Amino acid sequence: MSMSTREPQFYGYDLLASQARSLKGRLIVLEGTDGVGRSSQIALLREWLENEGYAVATSGLKRGKLAGKGLKEAMSGHTLGDTTMNLLYATDLADRMEREILPALRAGFIMLTDRYIYSLIVRSLVRGADPRWIKNLFSFALVPDIVFYLQADVEFLVTRVLNARGFDYWESGGDFLRGRDYYDNFVDYQRRVLAQFDAISDQYDFHRIDANRSMHEVFKDLQSAIRTVIADMKPAHPPIASRPAGDGGAPSGGAASG
Amino acid sequence: MATLRDGRVLPGKLIIVEGIDGSGKSTQLDLLRKWLIGEGYLVAFSTWNSSSIVRTVTKKGKAKRLLTPLSFSLIHTADFADRQQRQMLPALKAGAIVLADRYIYTAFARDAARGLDPGWVRGLYSFAIRPTIALYFRVPLEESLRRIMAGRPELKYYEAGLDIGLHEDPYESFKLFQTRVIEQYEAMVDEFGLTVIDATRPLLEQQDEVRELVRPHLAHVPKIEISGWREVLAREGLHGRYIQEMFPTLAEEI
Repeated sequence: MSMSTREPQFYGYDLLASQARSLKGRLIVLEGTDGVGRSSQIALLREWLENEGYAVATSGLKRGKLAGKGLKEAMSGHTLGDTTMNLLYATDLADRMEREILPALRAGFIMLTDRYIYSLIVRSLVRGADPRWIKNLFSFALVPDIVFYLQADVEFLVTRVLNARGFDYWESGGDFLRGRDYYDNFVDYQRRVLAQFDAISDQYDFHRIDANRSMHEVFKDLQSAIRTVIADMKPAHPPIASRPAGDGGAPSGGAASG
Repeated sequence: MATLRDGRVLPGKLIIVEGIDGSGKSTQLDLLRKWLIGEGYLVAFSTWNSSSIVRTVTKKGKAKRLLTPLSFSLIHTADFADRQQRQMLPALKAGAIVLADRYIYTAFARDAARGLDPGWVRGLYSFAIRPTIALYFRVPLEESLRRIMAGRPELKYYEAGLDIGLHEDPYESFKLFQTRVIEQYEAMVDEFGLTVIDATRPLLEQQDEVRELVRPHLAHVPKIEISGWREVLAREGLHGRYIQEMFPTLAEEI
């Protein structure tokens, strides 16, 4: 993929092509199951990239102005059908694509995205959706510059999720699994999700990261791959470490020249 | 026959009406509904863009003008999916006659008029039940405008197609947008085998034609025992706004 202003590629229909001319930024996606540490890594990556002088923006599922709230309400009610849910997710993505992601990329931002179409594809395939319909539905999505798939075993996820916040209805497939309890359901559901991520991994060119490791090890891997992706981008500002002291608070060890 | 995507035939009948604003299709469907109820059939009704959960998103998008052609298309598909799952499919499984005011052809026409790829939109709606009868109420633009303008002079932003910038004047924009929609409908008559009704004719003549088209499909539809209040509703042209509170399970079908 070309690295300067890139030729936009879409997953099928280029419905948004007119808004995707001369994208100067980079679209970087972190994918993976619940509890794998995506949002923590995005927070860390954002700080690192900003320190390097890049303009960074973030986005994630259900955060759009148009449909984000509606989706959350629909999920708390547990009443919408699978097709309707998929369409609401797609509405939210379309909204964010046109009003957040593409404008940021045109302006030269690095856009870090917490999940993208792959989580949505996986959740619907696990629930038995027609693969062709799902593929067509999300075919307006821009192909990212890189998709990281943070892969961790269920045993690892269980301890992480339990420690952080306990099991959630949706993360346990509560809408369609008829299991005995949340723990069994969570394990069952996440296994299905992992298998489905594996199944689409090659098709969507996932960059796999072993997330059964410490957060720091995972971060280092992400960092080195992102360096390649942004190699020919020019930072918007000089790195913080090279700025004069008092200008954005140079970290210790920075070349403060006062 | 109302048929699922996989070819399975549903016991109920799905009758849908299409046409531009001001074509009189809703009036005709309403008359048909009263007649069918009066005849003792179990009738369910579903209207475009009416799903309660989805509508909060659509309303917000319209009020704040957040909707683009793409998100406009997707949110209307979500509305349709929700109504199919909750209203139309259960009723068709139960053998009812389901009447739909606007169906997937509205989306095909409007989304194409907004410049979206027709193939993509058709793919979106591939889960839709195939209707038993699809009636297209054909009316010239001028006639529809005359009917609309008589009733409500203020055109809404999306309704007038102002979102795609055809013209800055709402009325001119509406005309240009409706012209595009009509072109789409006309092209779909053959593509989907829509039955054309000449909507310039007198109201009751049209209704007679509609009933003649519907009648052959009623042969094996089970009749329900007509209850007193159904008869009153049908004969007096009432909607049953309060009586349905007494029968919560019937609220959706009335």
